[in-house]
Amino acid sequence: MIKDIRTTLLDERKSLSDFYNPQVLINMGPSHPAMHGTLRVMCRVNGEVVEDATCEIGYLHRAIEKLAEHKTYHQWIVYTDRLNYCSALTNNIGYVMTVEDLLGIEVTERCQWIRVICMELARIIDHLICIAINALDMGALTCFWYLYHWREEAYSIIEAMCGMRLTTSYARIGGMSYDLPDNFDSMMTKFLKGLPKSIDDVEKLLSANRIWVDRTKDVGTLTKQEVMDFGLTGPVARASGVDFDLRRDRPYYTYPELDFEVVCGVNGDVYDRYLVRMEEIRQSAHILAQCVKKLPKGPLWVDDRLIKIPAKQDVYNNMETLIHHFKIFMDGIHVGPGEAYNAVESPNGELAFYIVSRGGTKPWRTRIKPPSLLLFQSFEYSMKGAKIPDAVSILGSLNIIAGELDR
Amino acid sequence: MSKDGNAGFIPTRLDYAVKWAQKNSLWPFTFGTSCCGIEMMSTLSGTYDLARFGAEVVRFSPRQADMLIVAGTITTKMSPVLRQVYDQMLEPKWVIAMGACSSSGGIFDTYSVLQGIDEIMPVDIYVPGCPPIPEGLIHAILKLQGVVESGGKRPEMHRLTREEANNAMSFRKDSDASLFDDSKPLKGQLK
Amino acid sequence: MSKLTPKLQEEQDRVTALLIEMFPGNRIDRDKNAEPVMWLNTASELLLAVKDLRIVTGLQMDRLSDLTAYDNVDGSDGPKRFVLVYQLYSMRFHTRVRLKYSVSENESVPTLTSFWRAANWLEREVFDMFGIPFTDHPDLRRIMMDERFVGHPLRKEYPLKDRQPFPDSLPVRIAARTPLSSGQE
Repeated sequence: MIKDIRTTLLDERKSLSDFYNPQVLINMGPSHPAMHGTLRVMCRVNGEVVEDATCEIGYLHRAIEKLAEHKTYHQWIVYTDRLNYCSALTNNIGYVMTVEDLLGIEVTERCQWIRVICMELARIIDHLICIAINALDMGALTCFWYLYHWREEAYSIIEAMCGMRLTTSYARIGGMSYDLPDNFDSMMTKFLKGLPKSIDDVEKLLSANRIWVDRTKDVGTLTKQEVMDFGLTGPVARASGVDFDLRRDRPYYTYPELDFEVVCGVNGDVYDRYLVRMEEIRQSAHILAQCVKKLPKGPLWVDDRLIKIPAKQDVYNNMETLIHHFKIFMDGIHVGPGEAYNAVESPNGELAFYIVSRGGTKPWRTRIKPPSLLLFQSFEYSMKGAKIPDAVSILGSLNIIAGELDR
Repeated sequence: MSKDGNAGFIPTRLDYAVKWAQKNSLWPFTFGTSCCGIEMMSTLSGTYDLARFGAEVVRFSPRQADMLIVAGTITTKMSPVLRQVYDQMLEPKWVIAMGACSSSGGIFDTYSVLQGIDEIMPVDIYVPGCPPIPEGLIHAILKLQGVVESGGKRPEMHRLTREEANNAMSFRKDSDASLFDDSKPLKGQLK
Repeated sequence: MSKLTPKLQEEQDRVTALLIEMFPGNRIDRDKNAEPVMWLNTASELLLAVKDLRIVTGLQMDRLSDLTAYDNVDGSDGPKRFVLVYQLYSMRFHTRVRLKYSVSENESVPTLTSFWRAANWLEREVFDMFGIPFTDHPDLRRIMMDERFVGHPLRKEYPLKDRQPFPDSLPVRIAARTPLSSGQE
């Protein structure tokens, strides 16, 4: 009799465990608030634990690489803005740098300093957005207001520099489209004075916050070996202790003259990525302060008539210059056959451009190596064994930008 | 309504009241895919504060939203998803196409990009810009409030069925396009 | 131009010299940035070279930076149709090496997923965009385009504006594939 009850109970429990252990397929995205608009993940969950996940990308595939083969070198600069739209300036500069390598020219010193300023400003904005969205996805709305305020301030500086907030198209082959505005120093000083205070405020709100720590600590951990295996770069790799930063290890422009530290984490979880990003904002602000001090006067453009875009004043008043201007923009710059590969340290990691030229004004093949593609590839792996809410925090910390993920 | 059941002028007053309520509480569903999505978030943030116009309650379920803001490039892979989101929204519903990409395809006239969301669904307001500045989106929402209030003319595609929309999406495939020819547009007749 | 620091330039030159010494039978070019570009002739040579470059003390090309391809329909880079490009990076010496391997149409290439997991999606992208198949790839299917898409967009003969819309989106496949950790454990 007792045995019978036991078996019934066991049977009952078995059916219950079946009930609580269903292999449910959950589709997240592409239109899901935490999936940043265009990412899609199919998870097989057991209870709340994700057992297997498949990522689907391509929902923002806009054929930017194919378009490159149909546009001249100058025309394609606008498309680089739309790769990583949070840090468009870095994309612009990374691309023109590669074209300049193909042409074999070196930009002037002032231009180099301005480009470093642009890249660091872009890094600050990108990290601000990443932390703000990551916190927002986990319900911390206050940080979003604090950080977005300083992002707007940065945008007003960028707007004064090039006339556009988000899609800047600031860099040109051999120079920049405009020089810095007259009140740049005062704007930047105001920005650099206010930003650290806001960062401190956010750090006070988050770093010791029980909910934030619980949801980020030991979540989405990647070891050093896994980072190398997935080819990750940028803050995610540095949070795992991979001491690698192209600005220091393969410096370009005036980075060797600047004093900054490469920030590294230990655990490689979401919390460390957040700390690394916070510290990198401070380092970038430090670099910007040095740049404002050291910015030399001098010519902005290379002294090469075939590459330099004539000044607008001359175009309107001088016949020959008008024709020259017309030729540069309608015909394009002629680039000899050859190939070049160049990488810059974008806010997300190594952003590389690989251009194969067969001569003429259009490239034969332009390849963008976005950091996000490899980062998102590791997402499938980090999701295994995590819970659904963890997936949201991991994705936010990876900072996937769909524009450069799908291109 | 008076006691004898005579409606009098009240129905129009109620209509007015409903429209007034609708226009000041447009709950958006934000379909942000790319660059415009970032500017849309700026519009919602403290500096521009869309809450002043009653449109800050971002709903991530289409069934709770009145206004679909399509911000960003819509690819052909994404367009069925967008259409499904639109179909799931309850009447009355309005659509804002934010930015050049969702209005017309913008600078991406390529094999994978839908040339404007009005090929698959009706659009009330188009916002120009790549991306539009937050003031542009605020202006669009104010314009849309005018449309809601006046009961203005709705786009013709408003009553398109699902099948019709799908047919509108499929272009005639031109197979004998010559090599390297990008001057010849392939966007042909609609079926 | 982003000029290299003298120390890095020295390292890069040393790596190039070492490559020439190690692979006497291969053509080694220098690109516009004076980075070595090594051409590989056979599939087994590719696998062997990648394996060697990872291990040899003076090279340690331990990170796959990029994997892509380009169309060689005009025949400037040899008679074969496509050229696969592998960008390797040494995290110790901070030098780059580029490997190139030509393939004909429909000729398959050995996968590098056994060396780096990073190669998985990069190879899928090459398969999607150029139609180059990879042997022993754990999950070879289209990545950017819909699975019903016909043609390979980055081939030169594919017209820029040839759209292929589909009325619905496909469900993501999940059951019919190998576990995620099938790469390298």
